[in-house]
Amino acid sequence: MGDKTDVWQGTLALMILKTLETMGPLHGYGIARRIEQTSGNRLCLNYGTIYPALLKLEQEGFISSGWGLSDNNRRAKYYSLTRAGRKQVKKEAEQWEETADIIARFLSPGEES
Amino acid sequence: MRALRAVFIRLGGLFNKKCQERELAEELESHLQLHIEDNLRAGLSPEEARREALVKFGALEATKEACRDRSRLQLLDTLSRDFRYAARTLRKNPGFTAVVVLSLGLGIGANTAVFTFVDAALLKPLPYPNADRIVALLQRPLKGKDTSPVAPRSFVRWQDRARSMEALAIAQVVPINTQGVEGAEQVSGLWTTSKLFEVFGVKPMMGRLFEDQEGLDRAAIRAESESSQVVILSHGYWQRRFGSNPDILGKTIPTGHSSATIIGILPAGFRVGTLQIDLFLPIRVDRANPDAIGSRGFQCFGLLRRGVTVETAQAEMTVLAEQIGRELSVEKDWRVVVLSLRDYLVRDNRLVLLVLLAVVGFVLLIACANLAGLLLTRGVGRRSELALRASLGAGRGRLVQQLLVESLTVSILGGVLGLLLGFWASRALVILGKEAVEFGQMAQVHLDVRVLSFTLGLSLLTAIVFGLAPAWQISRFDLRESLKAHGQGADSRSQQRFRAAMVVGEVALAVVLLVGAGLLLRTFSHLLDVKLGFRPEQVLTMRMIVRGDPAFRSSLVEDVLDRVESLPEVHAVGTIQFLPLSGWTNNGPFYFVGRPKPADPKSMESDVSTVSRGYFAAMGIPVLRGRPFTREDRLNSRRVALVNQSFVNRFCPGLDPIGQVIMGDWANPKPTEIIGVVGDIRHNGLAEEPRPTVFLAQAQVPGYITYLVVRASGEPMALAHAVRKEVADVDPTQAVTAAQPMEQYVSAALVRPKLYSVFLGFFSALALMLAAIGLYGLMAYAVSRRTHEIGIRMALGARPGAVLRSTLRQGGRLISLGLVLGVACSLVFSRFVASLLYGVTTGDLTTYLVAGTLLTGIALVAAYIPARRASKVDPMIALRYE
Repeated sequence: MGDKTDVWQGTLALMILKTLETMGPLHGYGIARRIEQTSGNRLCLNYGTIYPALLKLEQEGFISSGWGLSDNNRRAKYYSLTRAGRKQVKKEAEQWEETADIIARFLSPGEES
Repeated sequence: MRALRAVFIRLGGLFNKKCQERELAEELESHLQLHIEDNLRAGLSPEEARREALVKFGALEATKEACRDRSRLQLLDTLSRDFRYAARTLRKNPGFTAVVVLSLGLGIGANTAVFTFVDAALLKPLPYPNADRIVALLQRPLKGKDTSPVAPRSFVRWQDRARSMEALAIAQVVPINTQGVEGAEQVSGLWTTSKLFEVFGVKPMMGRLFEDQEGLDRAAIRAESESSQVVILSHGYWQRRFGSNPDILGKTIPTGHSSATIIGILPAGFRVGTLQIDLFLPIRVDRANPDAIGSRGFQCFGLLRRGVTVETAQAEMTVLAEQIGRELSVEKDWRVVVLSLRDYLVRDNRLVLLVLLAVVGFVLLIACANLAGLLLTRGVGRRSELALRASLGAGRGRLVQQLLVESLTVSILGGVLGLLLGFWASRALVILGKEAVEFGQMAQVHLDVRVLSFTLGLSLLTAIVFGLAPAWQISRFDLRESLKAHGQGADSRSQQRFRAAMVVGEVALAVVLLVGAGLLLRTFSHLLDVKLGFRPEQVLTMRMIVRGDPAFRSSLVEDVLDRVESLPEVHAVGTIQFLPLSGWTNNGPFYFVGRPKPADPKSMESDVSTVSRGYFAAMGIPVLRGRPFTREDRLNSRRVALVNQSFVNRFCPGLDPIGQVIMGDWANPKPTEIIGVVGDIRHNGLAEEPRPTVFLAQAQVPGYITYLVVRASGEPMALAHAVRKEVADVDPTQAVTAAQPMEQYVSAALVRPKLYSVFLGFFSALALMLAAIGLYGLMAYAVSRRTHEIGIRMALGARPGAVLRSTLRQGGRLISLGLVLGVACSLVFSRFVASLLYGVTTGDLTTYLVAGTLLTGIALVAAYIPARRASKVDPMIALRYE
């Protein structure tokens, strides 16, 4: 797995929120799976790490949870975005894009100076 | 906002731990199942599917732990864990726990008790609306430091000119004869000018207060004119005497030989300072002749204007006093002292209270030093455990927290015990100190929120201050070394020094308390041994206030003496104006008729007592020469007097006093012949040398206040009823009260010295015990640390005696250091109690020697026990001991 990247601190929350925004209500396993797929399998994610992050988001009121049944009739805890969560996704995404943009300018040489 | 919400949810998380745990487990289980199913669908074998899912998940337990940390507040969680852990360790070490909790409990309890006491006297607000603006005014002679009551002539001038005062009043306590439920009774009255109630901000509960210029001047009172008088009753007297009758206003009650109309009732609980007053009677100060109502004998109270401080008022009054001194020659040597009401009430009590506070403060310090020392010892012993915790990832802060929680647990336990002990002790203290300290609010001494918070604060403070230092010390270690050394590593030098300092400090404090106790105990025993000069046993005393003209007063007392004398159980009976040891006396200048008058009249002054025939026999004072008063010494016969031995020694050296004629500045003075000499007695206090005294005859210069002194053949108090009946037979309106055995006055004079010696004796013993425990703890610990080393020494041939000596030497060094420090401190501190001592000096060698020996003895025993254990070490066991 040497060529895979570790998840950066603080980015996991945004990935979870974004996933929930795109996919709708989803259980922990689903979210983890989806993040891995979205990254094109380039991210190395211990599925377990997702749970403390989910708990934190729930405590902060960005997501809510409830028990439900999966496609193959297995009981699982489903997470969905709250209204505050939707706002947060937008805000964080913007911030992230801005950061990425700035970093990108630093990394691409000679354009401005 | 979001963070706060999270904190609340996490706080809530503390309460449904189990439910959360189950849900988390279920969620993770379902996660794994979902993953396994996916893997199965992808064609993996069941084992491989499960393995892959677990690998992909990562550490299951770590995830759970992370979720737990997230779901609850970590600090609270660890705190509650620490508390439980602390409780468990404390339970496992009952000896350690008992010693620490007990010593802290005693320290805190003592402080709680004294705090309740001091709080009532010094700290609690006085129960008046403008308490901070009420002041007391006193006069002070230019050359002298003792203050005295106020003269009316000064008062009228202050009233006119003092701009810092909103209101001023003078008052005087007078016993008043009135009719009680069961015949004549004497109650406590207060003659006062009308502004008194304004000063104290009191409104009547019923009726009205005095109007300005209402009331009599004293001349009119003495003349017993029948002019209308008014009186205000205290709530207590109204309840007691009139059963709270609401229709009492307008009724009259007898006051002495006249009567007064009740115009008002004061609210419940109202007191003028410490005075318990039943009746308030108005006096008016005649501007033209203010001294008509009396001389320098009035209490004076004032209400400062808003914004005026006591200092400002004092400055103004000082200027005013100088001004008045220039106008009135009699006042030229007098200055004014302005005291806040609290200072005025606490005056003589301040020293008592400070001594008590200092003593219990010392005890608490010793207890705390013990706590710190024991915590450090235990902590060092637990090094390896702590090192293990640190190696498993506990930070230093976390370790300090854990240790602090432990000291907090101990100190809270100590605080609870202290509160119980303090509750009990404050009652004991009130019983012991009630007579020693006049308290404005003594009735209010009880445990309340203030006391509770004081105790709680004290416990927390001791825990933090005295728990932090050891915790910090213990948690400072080199992890690798500690683990390797297996808890046997040598202590760091600073830790040893810290502990040694604690023990030295304890010993020093104990020495200070022991010396203090010794000095006060010796004072007490000297006072007990004082030759009184009279025999108080089997003597009954009762007070009479006699009214009427001199002839009436004289004959009334004579009649009473005749009748009481004839009672079968009475050996002798007499009267005196002010009883010995009652705190009262008269004095004044005199001169010998026929000798040149002294240039300075002050140089020939004596105490003056008015006594009746039979007094010396009744009081048991020997007549050394000449004769006592007899029935023949009557109002109009030749004036005669007796003098005491001190008088003869001072004024008639080498002369025969009998037959000398003196004139004094007494009431209605006439040339008076000395007819006898009596023995000296301690009239003004046990510690006061007898003063030259002239005894005048009650029959010739009858006073108003007089005390009956009856020597009984049996129990004196049993006679009180019979005496009262005889007095009533002479005059049914004459009250006679305050029946007390004379021994009561003697023991009252011993109350303060007794309080001091009992208090200090108890607490110095406690301090000694605590210091011994501290020393023992240190030595026992040091020995247990050195077991290995001692084993080697003994294996190499060291004798047990040598080991014993070397160990004892270590303790001896600490003891002598503490002793030196303690003696040095004692020499400084004992100066503060110098005024309490009698018959010993602050540097009393015997006291220091005894205190030093006692302490050394007990401390050596405390050091000897562990030292002996060291000498009994079996080398084989010690070497294996790891």
